[in-house]
Amino acid sequence: MAYTPQFYPGSTSVGINRRKHMSGNVEKLRDIPEADVVAIMGHRAPGADYSSTHPPLKEMGEPDCPVRQVVEPTAGAAAGDRIRYSQWTDSMYFAPSIPYFRSYWGAINCKGCDPGTLSGRQIIEARERDIEDYTKTQYDSEMTDVALCSMRGCTVHGHSLRLEENGMQFDMLARTEMGNDGNVYQVKDQVGIPLDKKINLGKPMSEAEAKKRTTIFRFDGVPMGGKVGARKFDEAIEMTHHMWERRSKWGYRPE
Amino acid sequence: MVTASDTASLQVEITPQRYLTPATAQKLLNEIYSNGGVARIMIHGPNLPRTIPYGPGKGTPIDENKDLLIEVAGQAFELSVKVGRVRLELESEEYMPGLKAACERALPFSFQIKRGKFFHTRPTLSDYAKYGDVEDKRILGLIDPKAKKDKLAILSEEKVTIEDEER
Repeated sequence: MAYTPQFYPGSTSVGINRRKHMSGNVEKLRDIPEADVVAIMGHRAPGADYSSTHPPLKEMGEPDCPVRQVVEPTAGAAAGDRIRYSQWTDSMYFAPSIPYFRSYWGAINCKGCDPGTLSGRQIIEARERDIEDYTKTQYDSEMTDVALCSMRGCTVHGHSLRLEENGMQFDMLARTEMGNDGNVYQVKDQVGIPLDKKINLGKPMSEAEAKKRTTIFRFDGVPMGGKVGARKFDEAIEMTHHMWERRSKWGYRPE
Repeated sequence: MVTASDTASLQVEITPQRYLTPATAQKLLNEIYSNGGVARIMIHGPNLPRTIPYGPGKGTPIDENKDLLIEVAGQAFELSVKVGRVRLELESEEYMPGLKAACERALPFSFQIKRGKFFHTRPTLSDYAKYGDVEDKRILGLIDPKAKKDKLAILSEEKVTIEDEER
Protein backbone atom coordinates (compact mmCIF):
# COMPACT_ATOMS: atom_id res chain seq x y z
CA MET A 1 0.00 0.00 0.00
CA ALA A 2 1.33 3.43 -0.96
CA TYR A 3 2.28 5.67 1.91
CA THR A 4 0.09 8.72 2.40
CA PRO A 5 1.77 11.42 4.44
CA GLN A 6 -0.22 12.73 7.38
CA PHE A 7 0.15 16.43 7.92
CA TYR A 8 -1.96 17.89 10.67
CA PRO A 9 -4.35 16.49 13.25
CA GLY A 10 -7.87 17.50 14.05
CA SER A 11 -11.31 17.36 12.56
CA THR A 12 -12.14 21.07 12.67
CA SER A 13 -12.45 22.99 9.40
CA VAL A 14 -9.20 24.77 10.25
CA GLY A 15 -7.43 21.46 10.81
CA ILE A 16 -8.70 20.21 7.45
CA ASN A 17 -7.59 23.42 5.72
CA ARG A 18 -4.18 23.20 7.35
CA ARG A 19 -3.82 19.68 5.99
CA LYS A 20 -4.80 20.94 2.54
CA HIS A 21 -2.22 23.71 2.62
CA MET A 22 0.55 21.46 3.85
CA SER A 23 -0.19 18.72 1.35
CA GLY A 24 -0.34 21.21 -1.52
CA ASN A 25 -3.76 19.91 -2.46
CA VAL A 26 -5.25 23.39 -2.72
CA GLU A 27 -8.07 24.51 -4.91
CA LYS A 28 -7.38 26.88 -7.81
CA LEU A 29 -9.68 29.87 -7.63
CA ARG A 30 -8.37 32.36 -10.17
CA ASP A 31 -5.86 32.72 -12.95
CA ILE A 32 -3.66 35.78 -12.78
CA PRO A 33 -1.46 36.05 -15.90
CA GLU A 34 2.18 35.23 -15.33
CA ALA A 35 3.30 38.61 -16.64
CA ASP A 36 1.14 40.32 -14.01
CA VAL A 37 2.61 38.20 -11.22
CA VAL A 38 6.09 39.12 -12.44
CA ALA A 39 5.14 42.80 -12.49
CA ILE A 40 3.75 42.64 -8.94
CA MET A 41 6.90 40.95 -7.69
CA GLY A 42 8.88 43.81 -9.21
CA HIS A 43 12.22 42.03 -9.55
CA ARG A 44 12.34 42.18 -13.35
CA ALA A 45 10.22 43.68 -16.10
CA PRO A 46 7.87 41.11 -17.63
CA GLY A 47 9.62 39.57 -20.63
CA ALA A 48 13.08 40.74 -19.56
CA ASP A 49 15.97 38.31 -19.15
CA TYR A 50 16.64 36.68 -15.83
CA SER A 51 19.75 37.95 -14.12
CA SER A 52 22.10 35.17 -13.12
CA THR A 53 24.73 34.50 -10.51
CA HIS A 54 26.51 31.70 -12.33
CA PRO A 55 26.51 30.12 -15.80
CA PRO A 56 24.00 27.35 -16.50
CA LEU A 57 24.95 24.14 -14.71
CA LYS A 58 25.46 22.28 -17.98
CA GLU A 59 28.14 24.76 -19.04
CA MET A 60 29.84 24.76 -15.66
CA GLY A 61 30.98 21.16 -15.66
CA GLU A 62 29.94 19.90 -12.28
CA PRO A 63 32.15 17.63 -10.20
CA ASP A 64 31.43 13.93 -10.14
CA CYS A 65 29.08 13.81 -7.15
CA PRO A 66 26.47 11.09 -6.52
CA VAL A 67 24.09 13.55 -4.84
CA ARG A 68 24.18 15.90 -7.81
CA GLN A 69 23.41 12.95 -10.04
CA VAL A 70 20.43 11.92 -7.95
CA VAL A 71 18.91 15.37 -7.35
CA GLU A 72 17.58 17.02 -10.43
CA PRO A 73 18.10 20.79 -10.26
CA THR A 74 15.11 23.13 -10.49
CA ALA A 75 14.72 25.18 -13.65
CA GLY A 76 16.10 28.26 -11.90
CA ALA A 77 19.10 26.45 -10.45
CA ALA A 78 19.89 24.81 -13.80
CA ALA A 79 19.90 28.23 -15.48
CA GLY A 80 21.92 29.89 -12.69
CA ASP A 81 19.27 32.46 -11.72
CA ARG A 82 19.62 34.95 -8.92
CA ILE A 83 17.82 34.27 -5.67
CA ARG A 84 14.68 36.40 -5.38
CA TYR A 85 11.91 36.61 -2.83
CA SER A 86 8.20 36.99 -2.51
CA GLN A 87 6.78 38.13 0.77
CA TRP A 88 3.17 37.93 1.93
CA THR A 89 1.17 39.59 4.63
CA ASP A 90 -2.02 37.79 5.60
CA SER A 91 -4.59 39.38 7.83
CA MET A 92 -5.38 37.67 11.10
CA TYR A 93 -9.03 38.45 10.32
CA PHE A 94 -9.59 35.03 8.75
CA ALA A 95 -7.15 35.23 5.87
CA PRO A 96 -7.03 31.82 4.18
CA SER A 97 -3.35 31.31 4.85
CA ILE A 98 -1.42 32.44 7.87
CA PRO A 99 2.33 32.89 7.90
CA TYR A 100 3.26 29.42 9.18
CA PHE A 101 1.08 27.65 6.69
CA ARG A 102 2.54 29.44 3.71
CA SER A 103 5.89 28.28 5.07
CA TYR A 104 4.76 24.70 5.53
CA TRP A 105 3.33 24.78 2.02
CA GLY A 106 6.63 26.11 0.69
CA ALA A 107 8.86 23.77 2.65
CA ILE A 108 6.88 20.67 1.76
CA ASN A 109 5.80 21.39 -1.81
CA CYS A 110 8.36 23.74 -3.36
CA LYS A 111 11.74 22.44 -4.36
CA GLY A 112 14.80 24.57 -3.67
CA CYS A 113 13.14 27.28 -1.65
CA ASP A 114 13.85 28.88 1.69
CA PRO A 115 10.71 29.86 3.54
CA GLY A 116 10.87 32.17 6.52
CA THR A 117 8.10 32.93 8.95
CA LEU A 118 7.90 36.11 10.93
CA SER A 119 5.19 37.33 13.26
CA GLY A 120 3.06 38.99 10.63
CA ARG A 121 4.60 38.14 7.30
CA GLN A 122 6.03 35.28 5.40
CA ILE A 123 8.81 35.24 2.88
CA ILE A 124 9.97 32.59 0.43
CA GLU A 125 13.29 32.86 -1.31
CA ALA A 126 14.21 30.81 -4.33
CA ARG A 127 15.80 31.05 -7.76
CA GLU A 128 13.97 33.67 -9.79
CA ARG A 129 12.07 31.51 -12.26
CA ASP A 130 11.15 29.09 -9.47
CA ILE A 131 9.87 31.78 -7.13
CA GLU A 132 7.78 33.26 -9.94
CA ASP A 133 6.17 29.88 -10.40
CA TYR A 134 5.59 29.41 -6.65
CA THR A 135 4.17 32.91 -6.29
CA LYS A 136 1.74 32.39 -9.14
CA THR A 137 0.58 29.15 -7.53
CA GLN A 138 -0.07 31.01 -4.28
CA TYR A 139 -1.90 33.85 -6.03
CA ASP A 140 -4.12 31.52 -8.03
CA SER A 141 -5.01 29.12 -5.24
CA GLU A 142 -7.28 29.27 -2.24
CA MET A 143 -4.26 30.17 -0.11
CA THR A 144 -4.82 33.76 -1.14
CA ASP A 145 -7.78 36.06 -0.75
CA VAL A 146 -7.04 39.23 -2.64
CA ALA A 147 -8.54 41.49 0.04
CA LEU A 148 -7.03 39.85 3.12
CA CYS A 149 -3.64 38.85 1.69
CA SER A 150 -1.18 40.91 -0.26
CA MET A 151 2.40 40.81 -1.37
CA ARG A 152 4.50 43.24 0.58
CA GLY A 153 8.23 43.42 0.14
CA CYS A 154 8.55 46.25 2.64
CA THR A 155 6.30 48.16 5.05
CA VAL A 156 4.47 44.97 5.84
CA HIS A 157 2.15 46.13 8.62
CA GLY A 158 -1.33 44.76 8.29
CA HIS A 159 -1.49 41.25 9.72
CA SER A 160 -2.68 42.23 13.18
CA LEU A 161 -4.38 45.51 12.32
CA ARG A 162 -8.08 46.01 11.94
CA LEU A 163 -9.46 45.90 8.42
CA GLU A 164 -10.42 48.95 6.44
CA GLU A 165 -14.07 49.88 6.00
CA ASN A 166 -14.30 48.11 2.66
CA GLY A 167 -12.93 44.86 4.12
CA MET A 168 -9.40 45.25 2.76
CA GLN A 169 -6.34 44.63 4.87
CA PHE A 170 -4.76 47.94 5.90
CA ASP A 171 -1.78 48.88 3.76
CA MET A 172 0.26 51.95 4.55
CA LEU A 173 1.59 52.11 0.98
CA ALA A 174 -1.80 51.51 -0.66
CA ARG A 175 -0.56 48.78 -2.99
CA THR A 176 -4.01 47.37 -3.63
CA GLU A 177 -7.32 49.14 -3.98
CA MET A 178 -10.95 48.16 -4.15
CA GLY A 179 -12.44 49.19 -7.48
CA ASN A 180 -15.99 50.44 -7.96
CA ASP A 181 -16.80 47.18 -9.72
CA GLY A 182 -16.02 45.20 -6.56
CA ASN A 183 -12.74 43.84 -7.90
CA VAL A 184 -9.44 44.33 -6.13
CA TYR A 185 -6.75 46.00 -8.21
CA GLN A 186 -3.03 45.91 -7.65
CA VAL A 187 -1.71 49.39 -8.38
CA LYS A 188 1.83 49.07 -7.05
CA ASP A 189 4.41 46.32 -6.94
CA GLN A 190 5.37 44.61 -3.70
CA VAL A 191 7.73 47.41 -2.63
CA GLY A 192 5.26 50.20 -3.45
CA ILE A 193 6.52 51.39 -6.84
CA PRO A 194 3.51 52.23 -9.07
CA LEU A 195 2.77 49.76 -11.85
CA ASP A 196 2.29 50.83 -15.47
CA LYS A 197 -1.27 49.49 -15.43
CA LYS A 198 -3.68 48.37 -12.76
CA ILE A 199 -3.82 44.60 -12.40
CA ASN A 200 -7.22 43.10 -11.78
CA LEU A 201 -6.92 40.47 -9.06
CA GLY A 202 -10.60 39.58 -9.07
CA LYS A 203 -13.25 39.68 -6.41
CA PRO A 204 -12.42 39.11 -2.76
CA MET A 205 -13.93 36.29 -0.75
CA SER A 206 -17.01 36.98 1.29
CA GLU A 207 -16.57 36.95 5.05
CA ALA A 208 -18.27 33.54 5.29
CA GLU A 209 -16.07 32.15 2.52
CA ALA A 210 -12.90 33.44 4.21
CA LYS A 211 -13.98 31.86 7.50
CA LYS A 212 -14.59 28.59 5.69
CA ARG A 213 -11.15 28.55 4.08
CA THR A 214 -9.06 30.02 6.87
CA THR A 215 -6.17 28.28 8.61
CA ILE A 216 -6.26 30.49 11.69
CA PHE A 217 -7.71 29.27 14.95
CA ARG A 218 -9.65 32.06 16.61
CA PHE A 219 -11.96 32.05 19.55
CA ASP A 220 -14.52 34.00 17.50
CA GLY A 221 -14.13 31.55 14.63
CA VAL A 222 -13.02 27.97 15.11
CA PRO A 223 -11.04 27.59 18.35
CA MET A 224 -8.07 25.26 18.53
CA GLY A 225 -9.81 23.02 21.05
CA GLY A 226 -12.72 22.41 18.70
CA LYS A 227 -16.29 22.99 19.72
CA VAL A 228 -16.56 25.15 22.82
CA GLY A 229 -18.02 23.19 25.70
CA ALA A 230 -17.46 19.77 24.12
CA ARG A 231 -16.40 16.97 26.46
CA LYS A 232 -13.23 16.32 24.56
CA PHE A 233 -10.78 18.71 22.96
CA ASP A 234 -10.02 18.44 19.27
CA GLU A 235 -7.00 16.32 18.43
CA ALA A 236 -5.08 19.45 17.32
CA ILE A 237 -4.84 20.76 20.86
CA GLU A 238 -4.10 17.33 22.29
CA MET A 239 -1.23 16.93 19.86
CA THR A 240 0.11 20.36 20.77
CA HIS A 241 -0.14 19.60 24.50
CA HIS A 242 1.58 16.30 23.93
CA MET A 243 4.41 17.91 22.01
CA TRP A 244 4.90 20.63 24.59
CA GLU A 245 4.90 18.13 27.41
CA ARG A 246 7.49 15.94 25.72
CA ARG A 247 9.54 18.93 24.79
CA SER A 248 9.46 20.43 28.28
CA LYS A 249 10.18 17.21 30.13
CA TRP A 250 12.61 15.46 27.87
CA GLY A 251 13.74 17.92 25.25
CA TYR A 252 11.48 16.16 22.73
CA ARG A 253 13.45 12.96 22.84
CA PRO A 254 11.07 10.18 21.97
CA GLU A 255 12.40 7.68 24.53
CA MET B 1 -4.28 57.08 50.33
CA VAL B 2 -6.53 57.78 47.42
CA THR B 3 -7.09 61.41 46.63
CA ALA B 4 -10.49 62.19 45.28
CA SER B 5 -10.47 63.96 41.96
CA ASP B 6 -11.65 67.55 42.05
CA THR B 7 -13.05 67.33 38.56
CA ALA B 8 -15.91 65.28 37.27
CA SER B 9 -14.48 65.04 33.78
CA LEU B 10 -14.41 61.71 32.09
CA GLN B 11 -11.92 60.19 29.67
CA VAL B 12 -13.13 57.73 27.07
CA GLU B 13 -11.73 55.87 24.12
CA ILE B 14 -13.81 54.96 21.09
CA THR B 15 -12.54 51.95 19.15
CA PRO B 16 -14.44 51.23 15.93
CA GLN B 17 -14.30 47.70 14.57
CA ARG B 18 -12.71 48.92 11.33
CA TYR B 19 -10.31 51.68 10.34
CA LEU B 20 -12.21 54.75 9.23
CA THR B 21 -12.06 56.39 5.85
CA PRO B 22 -11.60 60.18 6.00
CA ALA B 23 -15.30 60.66 5.19
CA THR B 24 -16.48 58.47 8.08
CA ALA B 25 -13.89 60.01 10.39
CA GLN B 26 -15.20 63.46 9.51
CA LYS B 27 -18.75 62.37 10.14
CA LEU B 28 -17.84 60.79 13.47
CA LEU B 29 -15.83 63.76 14.70
CA ASN B 30 -18.58 66.19 13.72
CA GLU B 31 -21.18 64.09 15.51
CA ILE B 32 -18.98 63.99 18.61
CA TYR B 33 -18.42 67.72 18.40
CA SER B 34 -22.12 68.48 17.99
CA ASN B 35 -22.84 66.36 21.07
CA GLY B 36 -20.81 68.94 23.01
CA GLY B 37 -18.90 68.68 26.25
CA VAL B 38 -15.57 67.80 24.64
CA ALA B 39 -12.67 69.14 26.70
CA ARG B 40 -10.03 67.66 24.45
CA ILE B 41 -9.85 65.04 21.76
CA MET B 42 -7.18 63.03 20.01
CA ILE B 43 -7.28 60.74 17.02
CA HIS B 44 -4.97 57.78 16.88
CA GLY B 45 -4.06 55.19 14.27
CA PRO B 46 -1.31 53.93 12.01
CA ASN B 47 0.77 56.51 10.21
CA LEU B 48 0.07 57.32 6.57
CA PRO B 49 3.44 58.33 5.15
CA ARG B 50 3.56 60.71 2.19
CA THR B 51 6.51 58.88 0.66
CA ILE B 52 7.73 55.30 0.93
CA PRO B 53 9.85 55.35 4.09
CA TYR B 54 12.30 52.57 3.23
CA GLY B 55 13.08 49.77 0.82
CA PRO B 56 13.92 49.87 -2.88
CA GLY B 57 11.15 52.38 -3.54
CA LYS B 58 12.24 54.79 -0.81
CA GLY B 59 11.14 58.34 -1.49
CA THR B 60 8.46 57.44 -4.05
CA PRO B 61 5.38 59.60 -3.34
CA ILE B 62 2.23 57.85 -2.10
CA ASP B 63 -0.55 59.85 -3.72
CA GLU B 64 -3.29 57.95 -1.90
CA ASN B 65 -2.08 59.36 1.43
CA LYS B 66 -1.99 62.99 0.29
CA ASP B 67 -4.62 65.65 0.81
CA LEU B 68 -6.78 63.67 3.19
CA LEU B 69 -8.53 66.82 4.26
CA ILE B 70 -11.39 66.70 6.69
CA GLU B 71 -13.42 69.50 8.14
CA VAL B 72 -14.41 69.30 11.77
CA ALA B 73 -16.54 72.00 13.34
CA GLY B 74 -15.66 74.47 10.63
CA GLN B 75 -11.91 73.89 10.76
CA ALA B 76 -10.16 71.94 8.05
CA PHE B 77 -7.08 69.86 8.70
CA GLU B 78 -5.15 67.14 6.99
CA LEU B 79 -5.16 63.60 8.32
CA SER B 80 -1.75 62.03 8.70
CA VAL B 81 -3.00 58.84 10.32
CA LYS B 82 -5.62 56.25 9.49
CA VAL B 83 -8.25 56.89 12.13
CA GLY B 84 -8.43 53.84 14.36
CA ARG B 85 -9.20 55.24 17.79
CA VAL B 86 -10.61 58.45 19.15
CA ARG B 87 -9.69 59.41 22.69
CA LEU B 88 -11.45 62.26 24.35
CA GLU B 89 -12.20 63.91 27.61
CA LEU B 90 -15.76 64.84 28.34
CA GLU B 91 -16.60 67.62 30.75
CA SER B 92 -19.03 65.44 32.64
CA GLU B 93 -20.92 62.19 32.70
CA GLU B 94 -24.04 63.77 31.25
CA TYR B 95 -22.51 63.79 27.74
CA MET B 96 -21.93 60.02 27.68
CA PRO B 97 -25.34 58.89 26.34
CA GLY B 98 -25.09 61.53 23.61
CA LEU B 99 -21.60 60.34 22.71
CA LYS B 100 -22.79 56.79 22.33
CA ALA B 101 -25.68 57.94 20.17
CA ALA B 102 -23.29 60.04 18.07
CA CYS B 103 -21.10 56.98 17.42
CA GLU B 104 -24.14 54.92 16.51
CA ARG B 105 -25.23 57.53 13.99
CA ALA B 106 -21.80 57.95 12.41
CA LEU B 107 -20.39 54.44 12.35
CA PRO B 108 -21.87 51.80 10.06
CA PHE B 109 -20.28 48.99 12.12
CA SER B 110 -19.78 48.08 15.75
CA PHE B 111 -17.54 49.97 18.14
CA GLN B 112 -16.40 49.92 21.75
CA ILE B 113 -16.37 52.79 24.19
CA LYS B 114 -13.96 52.34 27.07
CA ARG B 115 -13.64 54.55 30.11
CA GLY B 116 -10.24 55.02 31.63
CA LYS B 117 -7.32 57.35 31.91
CA PHE B 118 -5.88 58.04 28.50
CA PHE B 119 -4.10 61.38 28.87
CA HIS B 120 -1.19 61.90 31.22
CA THR B 121 -1.29 64.75 33.69
CA ARG B 122 2.38 65.62 34.13
CA PRO B 123 4.79 66.51 31.33
CA THR B 124 7.11 63.67 30.45
CA LEU B 125 10.77 64.15 29.69
CA SER B 126 9.97 63.94 25.99
CA ASP B 127 7.35 66.64 26.35
CA TYR B 128 9.84 68.88 28.10
CA ALA B 129 12.63 68.20 25.61
CA LYS B 130 10.40 68.98 22.69
CA TYR B 131 8.16 71.75 23.90
CA GLY B 132 9.72 73.13 27.10
CA ASP B 133 7.31 74.27 29.74
CA VAL B 134 3.82 73.61 28.52
CA GLU B 135 1.54 76.31 29.81
CA ASP B 136 -1.77 74.80 28.85
CA LYS B 137 -1.81 71.41 30.55
CA ARG B 138 -4.70 70.28 28.37
CA ILE B 139 -2.35 69.50 25.51
CA LEU B 140 -0.51 66.92 27.62
CA GLY B 141 -1.24 63.47 26.35
CA LEU B 142 -2.31 64.82 22.97
CA ILE B 143 1.25 64.77 21.78
CA ASP B 144 2.78 61.69 20.27
CA PRO B 145 6.28 61.76 21.75
CA LYS B 146 7.75 60.31 18.55
CA ALA B 147 5.86 62.55 16.16
CA LYS B 148 7.40 65.49 14.41
CA LYS B 149 5.81 68.81 15.10
CA ASP B 150 4.20 69.02 11.70
CA LYS B 151 2.15 65.95 12.62
CA LEU B 152 0.41 67.87 15.36
CA ALA B 153 -2.96 69.47 14.78
CA ILE B 154 -4.76 71.07 17.64
CA LEU B 155 -8.22 72.41 17.14
CA SER B 156 -9.85 74.55 19.70
CA GLU B 157 -12.19 77.46 20.00
CA GLU B 158 -9.59 79.11 22.18
CA LYS B 159 -6.81 78.48 19.68
CA VAL B 160 -4.64 76.29 21.83
CA THR B 161 -1.45 75.87 19.86
CA ILE B 162 2.16 75.04 20.38
CA GLU B 163 4.86 77.32 19.06
CA ASP B 164 6.28 75.70 16.02
CA GLU B 165 9.83 76.88 16.39
CA GLU B 166 12.69 74.46 15.91
CA ARG B 167 14.82 73.80 18.95
